[in-house]
Amino acid sequence: MPADYSAVLVFIIAGTGIVVFTFLLSWFVQPRNPYKVKTETYECGEPIFEQSWTQFNNRFYIFGLIFVIFDVEAVFLFPWAVAFKSLGLFALVEMVIFITILLVGLVYAWKKGALKWV
Amino acid sequence: MINITPLIPELFLLVMAIVVLMLDLFSSRRTVVVPAYVSMAAVIITGFLVFKFGGDAVRWGSNAIFVADSFSQFFKVIILGAAFLAIGSSFGTADRMTHHRGEFFALLLFSTVGMMFLVSAKELILLYVGLELTTIPLFVLVAYQKTNRASSEAGLKYLIIGAASSAILLYGLSLLYGYTGTTYLNEIAQKTAVYFLSHGFIPNAEGTTDLVGMGPAFSVALMMIIAGLTFKLAIVPFHMWAPDVYEGAPTPITAFLSVGSKAAGLAAIIRIFDGMLYAFSHDTMPNDSWGTMMAVLAAVTMVAGNIIAIRQTNIKRMLAYSSIAQAGYILIGVIAASKLGVASCGFYMFAYMFANMGAFAIVGLYAEKTGKKNISDFAGLSKTSPIIAALMTMFMLSLAGIPPLAGFMAKYYIFAAAIEAGYTWLVILALLMSVVSLYYYANVVRIMYMVDSDNKHHIIPSFPAGLVLALTGIGVLLFGILPQSILDMAYKTASSFIF
Repeated sequence: MPADYSAVLVFIIAGTGIVVFTFLLSWFVQPRNPYKVKTETYECGEPIFEQSWTQFNNRFYIFGLIFVIFDVEAVFLFPWAVAFKSLGLFALVEMVIFITILLVGLVYAWKKGALKWV
Repeated sequence: MINITPLIPELFLLVMAIVVLMLDLFSSRRTVVVPAYVSMAAVIITGFLVFKFGGDAVRWGSNAIFVADSFSQFFKVIILGAAFLAIGSSFGTADRMTHHRGEFFALLLFSTVGMMFLVSAKELILLYVGLELTTIPLFVLVAYQKTNRASSEAGLKYLIIGAASSAILLYGLSLLYGYTGTTYLNEIAQKTAVYFLSHGFIPNAEGTTDLVGMGPAFSVALMMIIAGLTFKLAIVPFHMWAPDVYEGAPTPITAFLSVGSKAAGLAAIIRIFDGMLYAFSHDTMPNDSWGTMMAVLAAVTMVAGNIIAIRQTNIKRMLAYSSIAQAGYILIGVIAASKLGVASCGFYMFAYMFANMGAFAIVGLYAEKTGKKNISDFAGLSKTSPIIAALMTMFMLSLAGIPPLAGFMAKYYIFAAAIEAGYTWLVILALLMSVVSLYYYANVVRIMYMVDSDNKHHIIPSFPAGLVLALTGIGVLLFGILPQSILDMAYKTASSFIF
């Protein structure tokens, strides 16, 4: 029985080994020549003008959350609409329930003022 | 087309939770009374629906994924009872909240729906989803008083530990799935038993056969499932979240957590171990016996819970350790793995619901009135509020297991089941620990009756809180003297299992 698990042991050892090996290899063969442009986050991109650790309005979070919910709703709606005829009444009822639940959520968010930008 | 009639009670409660949410949103009167009473009515109606639509199962193909058998009905009654009593005792707490009052009750109902799914689930994924639906609203409820540091801390601790334990449980379930290739509990039961019978015997030197286990991964799966589920029951050594969370959470939520969530977790443990893995319950399985693992946990839990409870000065912490110890007693019934064992677990939970909900209701009332939370603050309560003190005495003695209260009968049947199953050492330990527990339970009574103080607080409960105290008081007394009807019901629940 324990012999069946030898593959797991080999996998753990080999997996760890490969990671350690590649790190060590790059450590030995890399040329070290850091200069200012090279140490920037995006070496070939936009020049950095500010730190990324800044405060931003946490309303973005609520908006993002609501957006994701309705985005996913749309993802569900498209395949259903395409296969509408073959799915029939049962799928229609299920979809109505699904949309109703999301609508209740939207009403809730709206009434609680989550959509207001103050 | 799937037959969904067994789901009607759950669906009804779910719709009512949304209704409560909307009710609060569109009512102009800023009062807790309406959503709270609607929630209580919804819980009662759900209780009737549970009996009306019982007995059938929701099937996927030929396999049941959701059963409304007598076992789930019995535990649903306990869960709904706990929800009803928690809502009843939370009028005062909710009244002092400045915002999000309607959501409080809606979240409580959502959590109740999750617990109902948990006790009925016969499929691993449904079981896990039910567990998540139970705990996620509870994370929010525990941290509800967000300006209170203790409540926020409790919420964060519960979230982190809850997430970790869910992950462990899920890993255990996935290993079980890897072993059997199915997520249906009845198929897993068959496949593991068949696999064991065909591979489990190897010939030894004497020409007879030795039993071998299912292999290390199976033991690991068992351990992970036990660890994941006993986190929810606060069994030692997975109990460390309980005292802090119980202390910091709003008192009605603490009560709901200690009864409802425990009942649901217990039902899941019974379904998985007594139902699905019954073949691996005893010592005849050298490596894969969950009975031995759980017996050790139960023993450690009873000893640690009871001994640490002695040192507590805060009454909610004391009750938290007491509920840890109680979970240890209940686990003995699971280990017994017999009809009597399952029946005694159900009855114990039923009796425990009344005593614990009642005790927490009084603690909540007292803290609301006086702002005091220590055991020593209860001094002189027998003079100022004799009825409250008498009720508290009853709840404490019922938890300690003193006749003629319900807690005594519950302990009696648990111990009987364990002796029948051959766990005499566990019963002796449990009896010793019951004596230890009497010390700290009786200490509360002693302080209320014997210690003088200039305490002038006269506690007058509001109508819903009074109703809660009346119901729990009657329950503790009635089912201690006349336990037969509930015992018969609890015994019938065991017919859902193979033993």
